[in-house]
Amino acid sequence: MQTFQQDCVELALRRFRRGEVGRRELLAGLVALGAVAPGGAAMAQAERQIVMVNWGGLANQGFGDFYGKPFMAENPGVRVVQDSTGPATGRIRSMVESGRVTWDVCDSSATGANLLGKLDLATRMDYSIINRNDVIGPGFALEYGVAPYSFSSVLVYDSAKFPNGGPTNWTDFWDLRKFPGTRLLRRDATCVLEAALMSMGKPPYPVDIRTGIRRVMELRRNLVFWTNGSESEQLMRTGEAVMGQIWHTRASVLHKESNGRFKFIWNQGVLQPGIQVVPKGNPAGEIVQKFLASMLAKPEPQVGLLGLLGNGPTNPKAAAMVPAELRQYNPTDPENEKQQIVLDGAFWGENYQQANQDFLDAVTG
Amino acid sequence: MSMSGSAAAPALSAATPAPSLPRFRNAGWWGLILPAFLLMTVFYLAPILQVLLISFTEPRPGLDNYERLFTSMGVQNVIETTLRICIITTAVSLALGYALSYVVALASPRAQRWWLLAVLVPLWISVLVRSFAWVTLLRRQGLVNEGLMGLGVIDEPLRLVWNEFGIVVGMVHYMVPYAVLPILASMREIDPRLLAAARGLGASRFTAFRRVFLPLSAPGLVAAGVLVFIFSLGFYITPAILGGGKTLMAAEWIKLQILDLIRWGLGTMLATVLVVAILVTLAIFSRVVNLKRLFGGGA
Repeated sequence: MQTFQQDCVELALRRFRRGEVGRRELLAGLVALGAVAPGGAAMAQAERQIVMVNWGGLANQGFGDFYGKPFMAENPGVRVVQDSTGPATGRIRSMVESGRVTWDVCDSSATGANLLGKLDLATRMDYSIINRNDVIGPGFALEYGVAPYSFSSVLVYDSAKFPNGGPTNWTDFWDLRKFPGTRLLRRDATCVLEAALMSMGKPPYPVDIRTGIRRVMELRRNLVFWTNGSESEQLMRTGEAVMGQIWHTRASVLHKESNGRFKFIWNQGVLQPGIQVVPKGNPAGEIVQKFLASMLAKPEPQVGLLGLLGNGPTNPKAAAMVPAELRQYNPTDPENEKQQIVLDGAFWGENYQQANQDFLDAVTG
Repeated sequence: MSMSGSAAAPALSAATPAPSLPRFRNAGWWGLILPAFLLMTVFYLAPILQVLLISFTEPRPGLDNYERLFTSMGVQNVIETTLRICIITTAVSLALGYALSYVVALASPRAQRWWLLAVLVPLWISVLVRSFAWVTLLRRQGLVNEGLMGLGVIDEPLRLVWNEFGIVVGMVHYMVPYAVLPILASMREIDPRLLAAARGLGASRFTAFRRVFLPLSAPGLVAAGVLVFIFSLGFYITPAILGGGKTLMAAEWIKLQILDLIRWGLGTMLATVLVVAILVTLAIFSRVVNLKRLFGGGA
């Protein structure tokens, strides 16, 4: 299953290739995303190498020359190198358990961080070094990971199919009589079950798994699933589905390229942190904490990332720095943020394995 | 050959010691494949066994994971879905492959070369590209639906993809060449004079086919069936792309367990079941059909 970060890098590179953004912006964006390491004095002391693991193989091209070398020149003794293996939770586990850890900072998720923490496979965040006040909410600075950016799972729809007004919440999404047509959901229990429960007017947390799955099954005959971001965009664009729950970055792309034909709403969106985790026994050791702290503390590159891809900043100072035309696409803009719910990473860390298995069994049965 | 050969032969037999020779010579041959054998064992079989053994040790030692085969609806569903799709794919591929082979076998040698090229070319195209091509053809606004709607045959787009139909189409497309090759090999061995003889003895065209051609080509049919079925069991990309997320086959299920759900015990359990199923299938059919034919060992 493709993760959000993987999809972001893909989006950034596509825009770069089309000439919509310059190399400088691309690199700034990849820095904020954690795909490229920012240059800073924070870790100049130790004689260490920091290995960052991201999801975008192509992202590694070029930054060795354009970014890695200048950084190494500024910080003698420290090297930040990139690995694009894709740090799936299962891969992190096999690395930690084999006792030969080569990764320092991995793009994961709130669920992944809690799951890895529970299994004793991740390093605890050191909040004497990382500042909790550098993020907008507690969900962005977890026990086993921190989020330098955010994203959201929102309701997108094809307004051409609904001339009398589109859906305004998940209740409408489940109303096949009022809004006929195929629905598009991610084949994953997280966010989907929250939407299902909200559609019934129930509180999303703690997730009532059984009720949520039953609610999803009501749509089964009118349902298609996506597993990676480009697929979700393509299924909407080609009319396979009339509405869906997709990442807001993809929804923003659809909105812009269709001149507003594809609309998305922040209402009842599920806001999620882009969590970075540190595998237990990481080779660089303590220094990664400073590295993570610097990623959270700098609002400018976070805003740069928003301009590039639409990822939300997580630094509280960032929202005010966002240009006016971008605010409608910023999930952590105060106006948008208050309409959404924040993903409960603790719940999913505890229940993901069983809940997602039940979800998969139901929708693929 | 005759003159020089007979002159050399006595010298050769005199130079080599006669008794216990065959056994000794065989041991030498076995010694030659020993490095390859060790390489396979150390770098291939041992790690695989190590991984498969996880199914007996996680989350706790025992047969808990295998118990799920009988108690978990989810696991049973995956196996049932996989078997159903594989059986349908095999049946359709064999039918198409047999018809195609029949045409090829009876064509002129020159035409045969072109036919074979046409059969083999799809094999060189990436399975990913082929799956996406099928999506383009079969989706709601795809070529097939738009074409049929343009002709006025249908009013609503047909549901040709994002379901098991789409998966079977993609898999059959991949498998037909694998069905053709063994079937064609066995058809080519059939002496065409046998058919002529059958006709001469008064059999109708159909009877000659049914009583002579079909039985003689049956070994190729069985070999193709085994090959296609075993290949189908491990399909991953095609169902993932064409299934619309609603169909989980064994390979994708294993991947989900290992990478996303990190329940390695369950994932390796199904992997073990898959390996055992393949070995058992091979063991059964090795009694019926010459397996050398399957793996290109010649007729």
